Amino acid sequence: MRLAGQTILFLVLAFLIGPFILICVAGLSGGETLAFPPEGLSLRWVARVFEVESFRATFAVSITLGIGATLLALLIGVPAAYGLERYNPPGANVIRNVLSSPIIVPGIIVGLALLRHLVIPLGVGILPALFIGHTALLIPYAVRIVSGSLVNLRVDIEEAAVLLGASRLQSFTKVVLPNIRNGIMAAFIIGFITSFNQVPVSLFLTGPGVSTLPIDMMAYMEFNYDPSIAALSGLLALMSLVIVLVAEKLLGLSRYV
Amino acid sequence: MSDAFLSLQDLTLGYGGSVAVEALNLDLDRGELVALLGPSGCGKTTTMRAIAGLMKPMSGRITLDGRDITRVAPNKRGIGLVFQSYALFPHLTVFENVAFGLRLQGVAKDEIARRVTAALASVGLASFAERQPKALSGGQQQRVALARSIVVEPKLLLLDEPLSNLDARLRLEMRSELSRLQKELGITMIYVTHDQSEALALADRIVVMRQGRIEQIDTPANIYERPVSGFVAEFIGFENTFALKQGALVSGKGSLPVAGAPDAHGLAWRPRTVVLGQGAHEGRVIGASYLGETVEYLIDSAAGPIKAETPAHAPRHAMGENLRFDLPVEAAAVLSRA
Amino acid sequence: MFQDRRLGLALLAPATLFILLGFLLPVAILLSGAFQTPEGWGFSSFTEFFAKPLHREVFWRTFRLGLYVTAISAVIGYAVALSIVDASDKRKGQLVATLVLPLMISPVARTYAWVVILGKTGIVNQFLTGTGILDTPARILFSETAIFIGLIQLFFPLMVLPLISALENLPRDVVPAARMLGANWLQVFWKVILPLTREGLVVGGTLVFVGSLTAYVTPAILGGSKVLMLETLLYQRVSVANDFAAAGVIAVILIVMSIVTNVVLKRLATRKGGK
Repeated sequence: MRLAGQTILFLVLAFLIGPFILICVAGLSGGETLAFPPEGLSLRWVARVFEVESFRATFAVSITLGIGATLLALLIGVPAAYGLERYNPPGANVIRNVLSSPIIVPGIIVGLALLRHLVIPLGVGILPALFIGHTALLIPYAVRIVSGSLVNLRVDIEEAAVLLGASRLQSFTKVVLPNIRNGIMAAFIIGFITSFNQVPVSLFLTGPGVSTLPIDMMAYMEFNYDPSIAALSGLLALMSLVIVLVAEKLLGLSRYV
Repeated sequence: MSDAFLSLQDLTLGYGGSVAVEALNLDLDRGELVALLGPSGCGKTTTMRAIAGLMKPMSGRITLDGRDITRVAPNKRGIGLVFQSYALFPHLTVFENVAFGLRLQGVAKDEIARRVTAALASVGLASFAERQPKALSGGQQQRVALARSIVVEPKLLLLDEPLSNLDARLRLEMRSELSRLQKELGITMIYVTHDQSEALALADRIVVMRQGRIEQIDTPANIYERPVSGFVAEFIGFENTFALKQGALVSGKGSLPVAGAPDAHGLAWRPRTVVLGQGAHEGRVIGASYLGETVEYLIDSAAGPIKAETPAHAPRHAMGENLRFDLPVEAAAVLSRA
Repeated sequence: MFQDRRLGLALLAPATLFILLGFLLPVAILLSGAFQTPEGWGFSSFTEFFAKPLHREVFWRTFRLGLYVTAISAVIGYAVALSIVDASDKRKGQLVATLVLPLMISPVARTYAWVVILGKTGIVNQFLTGTGILDTPARILFSETAIFIGLIQLFFPLMVLPLISALENLPRDVVPAARMLGANWLQVFWKVILPLTREGLVVGGTLVFVGSLTAYVTPAILGGSKVLMLETLLYQRVSVANDFAAAGVIAVILIVMSIVTNVVLKRLATRKGGK
């Protein structure tokens, strides 16, 4: 029984990870076309990735979007989480549902809705609309993760701070924030990665000079069969893994997922 | 305006729609240590939090040292609070925890160092300044919490069941510490507890509370020996409490006439004042427990079970034994109300 | 100290308004558009949509694949979760990490690998033609099978993680108790483990089913324009034909399926004296 279980486990892990390792190796191919096993190993396709203009441009967009949207989501999400956890205001349940709603709506609908009802009629630019869409997508994560940290932080230390002379704001910045700092950073990392890898929301919100990297990759692979996408996939995965592993080491990221 | 140092006037407190404390009136003198004593839910913690400013009263007034603080924010009242869970700041060292209030006041660096070191020394933790709260034992955390509150020299110090999370031996130690510190510094203190022995040991006066009202305010000795109501009597250890009707003790089960009973609402006896082996009443032993120094008996009587306690060396009574017993009126607490 | 509920509302205001105005409002308008016809409110957009055989085919395909992916994930998911829960603490952490890490990698990267594996010159075909099982390479890419494989790889971890959590929360000795009363392993699973981990199964099932229904990247890369799923159909209708009516209908279908799945599966978890 145990052996059967172990075998299944092994096969499943191979299924999950194998293809991925394969694509990394394919990216290191020396040949002209995408193939596995690759004809020889070389870093030329990895280098080529950095030369493709659209990759560089969309990478910049994705990074800016990721950092910006996550920061905004945290800026308005942290007070929201605090308000919900500590004050239990009237209508808290409705508000909780509203703040979680972006998770239920398929991203492609969001992108289309923003295009049709924000960009076109109101003249809001594509990039701002993309920014709004991504921020909205990240707010549930920010609120959920920070709420988790707040729930574990006892209320009486805030009361203690106030009785020692702190104003509400001082109590928040000097006592609450330092103790939820790790939760906020975890939310930042998870938010950034979610935004960076996001495709459906960004699908309709592309325009001249504005596109995200994953979408650009999908466009590229429609007409090009060289290993650059494989190389780029490998690089992106490496980036994600490094971020996550560093975060795990420094923050114990796994506690917040 | 009252002359008292702290005055609560017709204070009514509640949550949502329901009232937890009703029209409370209480005056404290400067330098007193007053205990708020009662079972959970009696309103003692609610009252304490209202005094601290952590809760807004529904109606009533609070004055401290001549100033009406009813509407004043909690961080501006000059009142300290030692929490039941200590509430030390986990991200700061012991030194920084104690220095917290002083830093907010903008006190000069060397003055902070001087006062914090002195405060830590007064609670016996002089060498603990650089430790982290999570590395401290419960008793040590308690003392840091105390040092943190007293270093800012509050006018009034509130303590919310500060010793309830400590083991018995430590509790006794800390109790004497607290008493010593209070007398040394002369700080006015309100001590909230459900433990009558703590209240008796520490307080200048005890306020017994029940369901949002004050049952009795008096010195420990008077509370202990002359409880005014059945509730206080039972709370303070008079385990045989009865209402009195026409010279007889009455309970749900039946009645027991008592010779020479005064005209009062009720009578109460401590177990060790019940006399076994002789007397006007008859009963049967339905319980006997050896407790080391004493033996505890449960006697079934016409008015229900009576708890008695005799020294271990006294003659023993067996289970099921029929015996005579007495409830001497001179040894009873006379209850003037229910 | 937290009695001033209006301050609480003020703290919530920015985030709530942002989502209401910048997110829910545009989406609501889009969805309502699907119910607007020249004569006022009605379902004619829906009837027109489903009149086309292609659309019906795409709808059923999406629904079917969603069910298959969820069912297979559930079965294999339990097997994997049971093995992981048995492992030592250190191993368990490593195994869970191996499941979670792929979730952090771009779906584009994860799906693209299958192009290499399943393509005409991919390793599967190399194996099949090389060993003589097939004469000409099989067309696996751009098929339902390819999408199915891609979706399972993408969403499988989302089934296993809640199951692991549910299994770890099983009351301590129920399995040995059942064994002592004579149950064999199949009975233990069916009568004890499954009912008690029902909530985990529901969470995992919802994530996988809804995820599969609303997937874009995987059907786009592995199905192309030949094998469409609801979201790739939506994209095609809008970008190629400006068919916003169809887009609105598909949007409504996707959201309704998402909400219905959440509600129905939640009921399934809590009925019959569940938690």
